[in-house]
Amino acid sequence: MKKLRMKKLRMKKLGVQKVSVFFTLIFCLCSYLSAETLDTHSDSSTLSFSGEHAGRAFKGQFKTWKASLVLPPDANPSIVATFDLSSARTGNALYDETLLEEDWFNVAKYPKGKFTSTAIEQTEKGFKVKGELTLRNKTQVLEFVLIPTKKGYSAEWKIDRLQFDIGKDSDPSAEWVSQYIQLTLAIRR
Amino acid sequence: MTEVTRFHSLAITLHWLMAIGFIIMAASGWYMVNGGLSKAAQFDLYQLHKAGGVIMLWAIILRLIARLSTRQPALPKVIPERQRTIAKWGHWGLYTGLVIIPVAGWFMVSSSPYGLPTFVFVDWIKWPHIPGLAGDKSIQSVAKTIHWYAVLCMLLLLAMHIGAVGLHKIKHKTWLVKRMWWS
Repeated sequence: MKKLRMKKLRMKKLGVQKVSVFFTLIFCLCSYLSAETLDTHSDSSTLSFSGEHAGRAFKGQFKTWKASLVLPPDANPSIVATFDLSSARTGNALYDETLLEEDWFNVAKYPKGKFTSTAIEQTEKGFKVKGELTLRNKTQVLEFVLIPTKKGYSAEWKIDRLQFDIGKDSDPSAEWVSQYIQLTLAIRR
Repeated sequence: MTEVTRFHSLAITLHWLMAIGFIIMAASGWYMVNGGLSKAAQFDLYQLHKAGGVIMLWAIILRLIARLSTRQPALPKVIPERQRTIAKWGHWGLYTGLVIIPVAGWFMVSSSPYGLPTFVFVDWIKWPHIPGLAGDKSIQSVAKTIHWYAVLCMLLLLAMHIGAVGLHKIKHKTWLVKRMWWS
């Protein structure tokens, strides 16, 4: 008798466990379907920059970077991205080499740039992202809208290079290189 | 030993190529600073001038090697000895100028706040900076002054050099250009 009761109790317990596992799975599935968690990197997605030098447009890309995105409705949405500053390529050797130097990206001292979100809010257009961008050990607040596209997401924003002391000795008055640099992100799943 | 009547072929070739090179470099150097060019054109001309300077530096090194390792024709005896001595000094002055100008330019580029690398006309030939000078404003200003005044001295010497050829032709009936050509 005692044994049988024990068995029943165990069965019941097992049943409760099964149910909770089931609901957890459902919950996960639901949140998976609505909230997106995405790890992406430079193999599939692109992060490009553009500006002007000597009155001529230039364009380039960061060839090595990665980002992790957790988007609403997840309770704790976040975006964290790191990129290798030495991977900036413009197709112009003169630019590529100069960018590595102390007065520009100073890659010897600060090899990586980092973005960490502080707030992500779902809007009609997509996601309004606020966060902090760190370059050359200088952190600035940044805001952009992550817009869903067919293949993933896109975003555009501008940075003031002088706020990060980029080229502050060579070109502090933006006589040669534009002060505002346009950044374009295209995330592909 | 037989007397040589002209300079070595390599010296002759370099003499005339560098004469053209010097004129191009002096003209481009003046124009890139004072020509009122657009930013883009000015930037490009600076890069070409830097590349040209590297070629001029290599040319003068090769030229000095040729000068020191081959025999020179003696200046004709019809020219008074004092003038022959002046000519010798003048020639070494020209060689010195051709060394100092590109070297001063190299110092300027190496200490420039822009830190732009020097590519010799193509991306796969990169001429290095002199190490340890990056962003050194005092070196840059000294090098700039030397670069400019050395060019002025060079132009003066060049005028004397060409003038002397004419002078010796008229006064001593000797055509010295033959020494610097395959004749």
